[in-house]
Amino acid sequence: MDAQFLVSLLLIIASFGLYIGIAVYNRAKQTSEFFVAGRGVPPIYNGMAIGADWMSAASFIGLAGTVMVLGYDGLAYIMGWTGGYLLLTFLLAPQLRKSGRYTVPEFIGDRFQSKTALVIAAIATIIISFTYSIGQLAGSGVVIGRLFEVDAKVGVMIGVVIIAIYATMGGMKGITWTQVAQYVILIIAYLVPIIFMSLQLTNNPLPWLSYGNIVSELGALDRELGISEYFKPFDTASKWQFLALMFSLMAGTAGLPHVIVRFYTVSTMKAARWSGAWALLFIGLLYLSAPAYAAFSRFILMKQVAGSPIDNLPGWTEKWINTGLLSMADTNSDGILQWKEIAISNDIVVMATPEIANLGIFVIGLVAAGAMAAALSTAGGLLMAISSSFSHDIYYRIINPNASEKKRMAVARWSILIATIVAGLVALNPPGVITQIVAWAFALASGTFFPALILGVWWKRGNAPGVIAGMIVGLLVTLTYIFLAKFGGITVFGIIDTGAGVFGAAAAFLTNILVSLSTKPPSQKTQEEVLDLRYPEQLKYQNGEVWKDDEVI
Amino acid sequence: MKKIDKKTANAYIKARFRLTTVLLIIWLTVSFGMVLIAETLAQYTFNGFPLHYFMGAQGSIVIFIILLFVNAYICDRIDEKYNLVEKKSKNVKGQTLSQ
Repeated sequence: MDAQFLVSLLLIIASFGLYIGIAVYNRAKQTSEFFVAGRGVPPIYNGMAIGADWMSAASFIGLAGTVMVLGYDGLAYIMGWTGGYLLLTFLLAPQLRKSGRYTVPEFIGDRFQSKTALVIAAIATIIISFTYSIGQLAGSGVVIGRLFEVDAKVGVMIGVVIIAIYATMGGMKGITWTQVAQYVILIIAYLVPIIFMSLQLTNNPLPWLSYGNIVSELGALDRELGISEYFKPFDTASKWQFLALMFSLMAGTAGLPHVIVRFYTVSTMKAARWSGAWALLFIGLLYLSAPAYAAFSRFILMKQVAGSPIDNLPGWTEKWINTGLLSMADTNSDGILQWKEIAISNDIVVMATPEIANLGIFVIGLVAAGAMAAALSTAGGLLMAISSSFSHDIYYRIINPNASEKKRMAVARWSILIATIVAGLVALNPPGVITQIVAWAFALASGTFFPALILGVWWKRGNAPGVIAGMIVGLLVTLTYIFLAKFGGITVFGIIDTGAGVFGAAAAFLTNILVSLSTKPPSQKTQEEVLDLRYPEQLKYQNGEVWKDDEVI
Repeated sequence: MKKIDKKTANAYIKARFRLTTVLLIIWLTVSFGMVLIAETLAQYTFNGFPLHYFMGAQGSIVIFIILLFVNAYICDRIDEKYNLVEKKSKNVKGQTLSQ
């Protein structure tokens, strides 16, 4: 047990003590509070909570590594995961909020007057959130595995226990304020190592301004080695893949159930707009930093690690090689480690870089604590989405409409617990790197919810058979394409598994429109309610006239 | 509930729609547009970055953030102009849980 282990563990325990303390303090008392936190969170804090919900293990642990490995092509993740927020803020969030429905399945069920549509949407929520949380638990496995120098599998199991305890205890109210604390800790943890590396390499404390030259130098180093330049566009995949992935991540963001529900936690639409803007600012801080993290890591690996004698590698290498996520082999047996002989997994770049750059045990521990916060906070939000879909949309609406509030709370808590354990079992052998698993969840969201929500809000002619067929086709096409591209090697225009959402969304839009048009239009009342959604919350559209809503103004 | 003059209501909605349309066009240009012309941008440099890399890593994201703040600010001004500022929170219609 070395000093590093103690410092990391202490920082993780201290930060989790803080989160759990807040959760217990705010322990949910009523069901309505449990789900949307009583609608009383100020915009700037709600923005931070959205940020923490949003910045998952994929963003914190996986993103910089993905950008480092993919170069320019990895920036599709950066643009996609930030740009989607605009689509959400402009085209969906205000309208969904006005509809006043708690969850996406509930909105779809009521808008299309169909229990079948509601159940399909609830099942899609569960599939998407479940896929997403596998990525999170895999991330916590990497962190805990490195910490205890055990197999990542054992790490995942420990992560499952922690998340199950604190998600079943707190509910969303606990989670909202816990998320604020998590945001603060994880952004500090992310920025400190980058600022240190920026000072080390460029003598400039502002990495965002200083790393441009590092990027250019990386290009020069690559040219010397005769490999393609770091920033060369569309080097690892086609331009179509870049665009498809970016679309898929954006549309997925707009359709992601656990993000939309955050727009319900503030009292007015005005406040919701401002929380969205703050959220993107807080999220953007990390996303603007990830490519800097990637560039500094790659630079240090190329300049300081590559070129060292193979029998005299720094101490950190052994611990990471043991996790199976890093390999350094002297393939041309010249006794010197070359850049081409280093194979580093996307998932360890963020965690390993502070050790590589020798930033000291405190910074390394801080990054571990931040990574745990990222993985577990998003898992918390996702498990809440699974739990509310099951207990509220499926159990209460369909299975047992006479359930008492106490009974529903019990079902909500049990479903969180069960979902956590099952996701943990799958995460024992993660089927891809973290960003990839999460990209599948986004592809599924863009193939199911995005078309259903956009047409549900903006097309009054859309009806129940249309949306049911659209969601089923979108889900199947996306799933099929992911499997064909990943395991069957079949791709179209060079679009690989992570960009599958573009096909799912296109198929779902088409099916939804064609089926809706060939079946009966929705009732006059429903069509009028859809038109009403286009008017901001202060106004009500009824019988062709517009009214001020006294409840709001 | 107070009825609103049809013309005022339409003007208000139009102002809000125009804002959204303009912001979405800018959004589309700085995201998909910049990727489509990445090879062209690659010939230029900005602050040490090849320009296409700068746009993907920083330029587009900063513009996204600015767009959301501009949207929040202008929407507030439009609400004020038409005297439609929200004063209190609305009771959620679909609050089936607390019934």
